Amino acid sequence: MSGKKISRREFMRLTAGAGLGLVGASTLAAGCGGPATSAPPPTSAPPPTSAAPVTKGSFNWMTWSDHYFPDQLAEAASQYGIKVTPTLFSDNSEAFLKVQQVGGKQVDLVSGDALWVSKYYQEGLIEGFDLDTLATAKNLFDVVKQFDFWQADGKYLAFPFGYSPVLVAYNPKYVTSAPDSWAALWEPKYKGKIAMELQPFDVMAMMGKSLGIKDAYNMTPDQIKQAQQQLITLKPNILKFVEQNTELVTLMTDESIWFATVNVGMEDRVKDAGGPEVRTFVPKEGVVGWMDGEMLVKGAANRGPAWGWLDKMETPEWIAKNFLEYGRPLFNKAAYDLLVKQGYEDRAKRYLFDRPEIVLSMTLKGPSANMDLYINAFNEALAK
Amino acid sequence: MGGLAIYPGLAGCDGDMTLNATDATTVLGEIQPGGETPGDIVRGAEEMAGARPSRKVLLGFVPISVLLVGFFLAPLMVMVLYSLWTMEGFNVVPHWTLVNYVRFFTAGMYTAILLKTAAISLLVTILALLFGYPFAYFLVRYVNKKWQILLLVLVIIPFWTSYLLRVYAWMGILGRKGVINQFLMVIGLVRQPLEFLLYNNFSVTLVFLYLYLPFAIITLYASLEKFDFNQINAAMDLGATPWRAFVEIMLPQTKQGVITAFLFIFIPMLGEYITPKLVGGTDGTMMANLIVNLFRGFQFPAGSAVALSIAVLITLILIVFRRYLRVEELY
Repeated sequence: MSGKKISRREFMRLTAGAGLGLVGASTLAAGCGGPATSAPPPTSAPPPTSAAPVTKGSFNWMTWSDHYFPDQLAEAASQYGIKVTPTLFSDNSEAFLKVQQVGGKQVDLVSGDALWVSKYYQEGLIEGFDLDTLATAKNLFDVVKQFDFWQADGKYLAFPFGYSPVLVAYNPKYVTSAPDSWAALWEPKYKGKIAMELQPFDVMAMMGKSLGIKDAYNMTPDQIKQAQQQLITLKPNILKFVEQNTELVTLMTDESIWFATVNVGMEDRVKDAGGPEVRTFVPKEGVVGWMDGEMLVKGAANRGPAWGWLDKMETPEWIAKNFLEYGRPLFNKAAYDLLVKQGYEDRAKRYLFDRPEIVLSMTLKGPSANMDLYINAFNEALAK
Repeated sequence: MGGLAIYPGLAGCDGDMTLNATDATTVLGEIQPGGETPGDIVRGAEEMAGARPSRKVLLGFVPISVLLVGFFLAPLMVMVLYSLWTMEGFNVVPHWTLVNYVRFFTAGMYTAILLKTAAISLLVTILALLFGYPFAYFLVRYVNKKWQILLLVLVIIPFWTSYLLRVYAWMGILGRKGVINQFLMVIGLVRQPLEFLLYNNFSVTLVFLYLYLPFAIITLYASLEKFDFNQINAAMDLGATPWRAFVEIMLPQTKQGVITAFLFIFIPMLGEYITPKLVGGTDGTMMANLIVNLFRGFQFPAGSAVALSIAVLITLILIVFRRYLRVEELY
């Protein structure tokens, strides 16, 4: 055994020193520049532009599963050399959190809802752009280009995609008297027959709506308590909270549930899956709703291909196909016109495709000022 | 290294209870080829153990030290700090407070769900031991070596597929239109699908049992394989009932395997998230589900405090059972 020897104590001292150094560095990162402790650092990427040049390459897209088709990804790769790597998330808070952590180095494009979009911008996570420089923007409904809550500093913050009020779907085979109020869900005979998406803020907001609270995403502490009590009372009737709305289709199809909070279009999705007749209603107390779009992450490392996706692939043909597959309306007028030509006018109108202005009358999804109270109330209700 | 020749004899003491004092004297008193007595060798080993390791040897520990510090200790420290700070809007701010821990221990919901999580974990662990022990016993005692290997491979085959897929498969088995309900309806045993099979504590327990049973079997197999079954025969020859022979002879000697299996199952289950989410329904909520909700809701300090409190609980369990955690002796 040759070589200079050191004692175990020396070794421990060395490694402990290195360890403390690393821990110290991480502590410093947590306190001074850690991902969740402050807004992302400024990047060397160019300032917000009217348009990024479309280039070939790969980009990362954090989105929902119903924003694209595998065939669409394949076409982008074969025709334009744009390779998309989608990552799915379940709700806005999850996506926001991830973008806050990794920024444009790992995510180039992110989907987001309604008032979350402006929150992304306020937190410095996305950058605005000139909507009209996108070739596909000319296909949008005019009203869609004027949403003031999606504009800042003369730029548009998200490329509009789809919208829907969150309705209540029911199976008329078991729910024989057509309901028109949230109250129907609380009837004891529907024990274990309801499912909702696992989106704590939205669930709490819906509880608020059932109580007739107007600004359901900004409830006061007292209102949150009332909403929590509503959820606790409803819990015996809830079979489960699902991660993706596709599971709602499955549960309605096999008749595990008779009620679900759903997007527009659930009727056909269940029917297409071989399930029973499903109807929907808008509760008289009001509903929450969503409208989503694609946002360019600040400092996106692959903005060229990401921009190329929006510019080349959000075409009327793909959007129309998306509507037929997933049911809820989209903001693309050219796609609506195409559907009319293809003989789907009735279906498109039934699902509000021709009424994008309806989003202005919905209680739109967004982050709350009392997030901790919302989450604690939701968790407490689950634990009861 | 002729001195190593003493080890087979010593190993015999461990596994072969028929070794007598004469044998031991013969083995221990044997002069080794190098002229060293076993006593010399033992003393040499003790000296080596006390020697200062060379820099070269210590360098070998640097990668694992960096890994542990960088990927375990540092993130843990971040969690500790977060748990002592507060949230303002979407940002964690370094305002020192214990409120996150106070809330964890005073808000009834966390202790209630923690107790429920522990209860489910305990139930599954006990069931896995109850099913796993007889299986491992049967395997070791009555199946020849070639078939033992095949059966063990069958036990671990589920690990070749994704955890998520296995849980989804159970949804297909237990669901309203699942295999069990379809079968029962086809044979006319039921007219309506059985609702209690899925989305409740029953399905959570069942799927956990399926997921963790292999851990129990493999650990108990390793322990039972070293057991000398002649002792059971001897005990029964002396009048012991099979149950007494099991309780007083076999169980004490395989206790280490039982406790290791217990820890291998119970501890990971405390942090389970996916299974309760997929097959649990609202009744099957476990601790990790609440923690995820906290992080999703941007409550990093509260989430960190709850997660760390669970980690402390697990550490306490490990401290209590530390003397049984000699895994190297088990295998």
